[in-house]
Amino acid sequence: MTEIRYEQWEPVIGLEIHIQLNTKSKLFASSPNRFGDEPNTNISEVCTGQPGALPVLNKEAVKKAVQFGCAVGARVAHFSKFDRKSYFYPDSPRNFQITQFDQPIVVGGTITCDVGGAIKHFQINRAHLEDDAGMLKHFTNFAGVDYNRAGVPLIEVVSEPCIHTPKEAVAYAMAVKAIAEYLDISDCNMEEGSLRIDANISVRLKGEKTLRTKVEIKNMNSFHNMEMALESEIRRQCRAYTLKEEIKKGTYRFDLEKKETVLMREKEDADDYRYFPEPDLVPIVLTDAYIEEIKKSLPELPAERFKRYITELHLPEYSANQLVIDKALCNYFEESLKICPNAKSLCNWLTVEFTGRLKDSDKSLSDFSGNIARLVNLIDKGTITGRIAKDVADEMVLNPDKNPEEIVAANPDYQPMHDTSDIEPIIDQVLLENPSSIADYRAGKTKAFGFLVGQVMKLSKGKASPSVVNDLLTKKLDLSL
Amino acid sequence: MHEIPAHVLTARFKKGELSAKEIVEASLKRMALHDPKIGAFLSVLTERALKKAEEIDKKRDQGKSLGKLAGVPIALKDNIHVKGELTTCGSKFLSNYKAPFDATVTRLLEEEDAIIIGKTNMDEFAMGSSTENSAYHNTKNPWDLNSTPGGSSGGSAAAVAARFCPIALGSDTGGSIRQPAAFSGVVGFKPTYGRVSRYGLVAFASSLDQIGPLTTNVQDAALVMEILGKHCEKDSTSLPLPWRAHNEHTKELRIGVPKKFLEDLPSETRENFEHSLKILGAQIVDIDLGILKNSIAVYYIIASAEASTNLARFDGIRYGIRSPRAKTLEEVYDFSKQEGFGTEVKQRILLGTYVLSSGYQDAYYRKAQKVRTLIIEQFRKAFLQCDLVAMPTSPFTAFPLNSIADPVQMYLQDIYTICANIAGLPAVSVPSGFSKDKKPFGLQLIGPLLKDAEVLHAAHIFEKTANLQLTPNL
Repeated sequence: MTEIRYEQWEPVIGLEIHIQLNTKSKLFASSPNRFGDEPNTNISEVCTGQPGALPVLNKEAVKKAVQFGCAVGARVAHFSKFDRKSYFYPDSPRNFQITQFDQPIVVGGTITCDVGGAIKHFQINRAHLEDDAGMLKHFTNFAGVDYNRAGVPLIEVVSEPCIHTPKEAVAYAMAVKAIAEYLDISDCNMEEGSLRIDANISVRLKGEKTLRTKVEIKNMNSFHNMEMALESEIRRQCRAYTLKEEIKKGTYRFDLEKKETVLMREKEDADDYRYFPEPDLVPIVLTDAYIEEIKKSLPELPAERFKRYITELHLPEYSANQLVIDKALCNYFEESLKICPNAKSLCNWLTVEFTGRLKDSDKSLSDFSGNIARLVNLIDKGTITGRIAKDVADEMVLNPDKNPEEIVAANPDYQPMHDTSDIEPIIDQVLLENPSSIADYRAGKTKAFGFLVGQVMKLSKGKASPSVVNDLLTKKLDLSL
Repeated sequence: MHEIPAHVLTARFKKGELSAKEIVEASLKRMALHDPKIGAFLSVLTERALKKAEEIDKKRDQGKSLGKLAGVPIALKDNIHVKGELTTCGSKFLSNYKAPFDATVTRLLEEEDAIIIGKTNMDEFAMGSSTENSAYHNTKNPWDLNSTPGGSSGGSAAAVAARFCPIALGSDTGGSIRQPAAFSGVVGFKPTYGRVSRYGLVAFASSLDQIGPLTTNVQDAALVMEILGKHCEKDSTSLPLPWRAHNEHTKELRIGVPKKFLEDLPSETRENFEHSLKILGAQIVDIDLGILKNSIAVYYIIASAEASTNLARFDGIRYGIRSPRAKTLEEVYDFSKQEGFGTEVKQRILLGTYVLSSGYQDAYYRKAQKVRTLIIEQFRKAFLQCDLVAMPTSPFTAFPLNSIADPVQMYLQDIYTICANIAGLPAVSVPSGFSKDKKPFGLQLIGPLLKDAEVLHAAHIFEKTANLQLTPNL
């Protein structure tokens, strides 16, 4: 068997991210842009490609595209135009898509993100406006087309082929998603298809300057699937080159069952879409004043927040990134900060304790309003110990709208021991049972002290106030010297 | 009554001398009598027209204010939508297609109390110069029933020439209003591109199409333009400007004539044209429009390219005919188009697809766009020397039915009209006399962008001076 030396190969990945803009109406028509309605209810003469219908550009979509451009530090084009992209498919109501071919509205730009603890920069090639297609639905003896999605505005964000690992690809895509969420230009719901990712991927021997044959992977509807798909495709290509097999240009999809990429269709030659300028629309002409105004009114973006969390809140980079990348989580954190000043502890309770507890629950953070912040305050005030707080948290997940102060007050088990008279007997018992640890402590082994504290906490079921235990234990050990 | 111009007809209606019902009934009666031999209409909207006439009569009786075209019957080319009525575009493909909305022009006319009486015959999807490409029937020229009325708005031209109605709307992509107007002895006007909304006009070539009036006299054409020349939010290429009437106090007209370009005019056409220039009585300036020798090539590339995509929507999936033979998706596409489209339409889709294909786009589509820019530029220079450009509308008069089989010969029909579409300019064809065999000639006047009113004004002066008798004997 030939050995495949994966480490010799360098993957080259470019991502195309389609982001549905959450405008009120469609890109070229006044019909509502809404997901999940009865088929063919949000349609008009434009969305169904009726003869005599004409497209009229939605200014809100232009604004959202420009917001994205400004947010990624791209050049927003003063002049851009639309083109017709011809192909026949029943979900395409005119049998051409209106897109931007050679003069897109957003050119260049950079995405900065954290990849496994390292800050990296990825270049965007372009982002352009285009309209979405309808959806084909297959039934037992016929197929139908739902045109509700036809004409929904999209921006397609095209990266440079500057991504080299599946982890980088995920980090990049998550960062793009976060930006779109912070700008509130899209719902970014991958399950509903409001954020869709295609990848172009090839591998080459490290040091090679030219690119080899790339394949396109579609149908990666979660970041987890995308990572698996890219990993599987990289292995397939390395294996093929090593075994002197040919990589065929084509479109693949990720098969969730097989956990591998499967060929959908081969591309002998590049598809000929016969692009040419859309004569029914006038070019988009934007003034400096318009672009400046949008730039000025941008909200705080993930990268800026990240910096603020590091420099002002002194959060660890990993935690800061975890917060920032998830808009809902991060906004909850911001709201909680108004109640609880202990950012580090709050961050830990949100990203570790509650994220874990909510994983398989039907509750979301917003159900808790300020209660998580209140829980952290209870710990900080010494009302409860961290150990008790975990039990309180378990209870909170069941009743998120219940104030933790009430939960604590209602349960005598959650009252911490502060009184020396309650704690002292426990300490005495522990010292009695662990003479060797006392000896270790006296021999200078500080670890032994921690062990003894642990034993006390265990016996007190976590209720003993750690500061009281520390004080008492130190006193007793030093006294009996 | 059929000889009364629209502006007089509406005045007499408003005065109470005629009722809208009388006017519509007279119009319908004349159609019933003569249209069987002419074939101007694809559908006659009898009930709708009579109902509308009653409403307008009632409105007048109640003393309500009446629109600028109150009581005037108007025919629309069958590529303009009237909600709930068929829009066939002269194609078998749309034989069952009912318009789901009103075209902006339809709405504007009805807001002025005009009465839409029918939809007129046309070359399929407006592709042709004789109306012989209609999937339904030929239309005959009211001046000579053996000849075509021109095209593609041949039905509209014949309807006005036969005095079925004083006004019809057509669409002009390369001369489709002006050439049939000239052949049929009526006035035909193509506005500045963007002047009239294209919303509800089934597109042939989006960057060239304009809707315009065909009328018995210039004043009526100006009246229609006053109504249609408005900004429309549903058409992105619609000009955001109000209609601007002509300023009466102008100096003597300077008329540009591209003498070299007109070198090959047939002698009878030349005589009529030179006589027309004398009637105009303006200062004649020789201008260079040599670039126009490329206009037919440019036109057939750009128009076909746009048409190939505009017509892609006719696939048998959503509307129109679907071939009953089709069993797979590919067959739905292939057979529906095969059965629904005529030869000329297929040829142009093929041509358009070819000139846009990768590897050929530079040689054809992009080069044509460059020449289009040069044509616009040469017109701009010409208009530094003159106020309007004059040319014959067509090198010929109406030709006999089935006499031109070669499509390229047919394309040459548009040699003098195409340039106005390519450059987006306003242009009128006004009747300028008759040939020895009693067929009408047309004089074409082309103006700079947005000088629509000036073009119509000059045509009006010409019309008054020429003073021709323009009603054919049916």
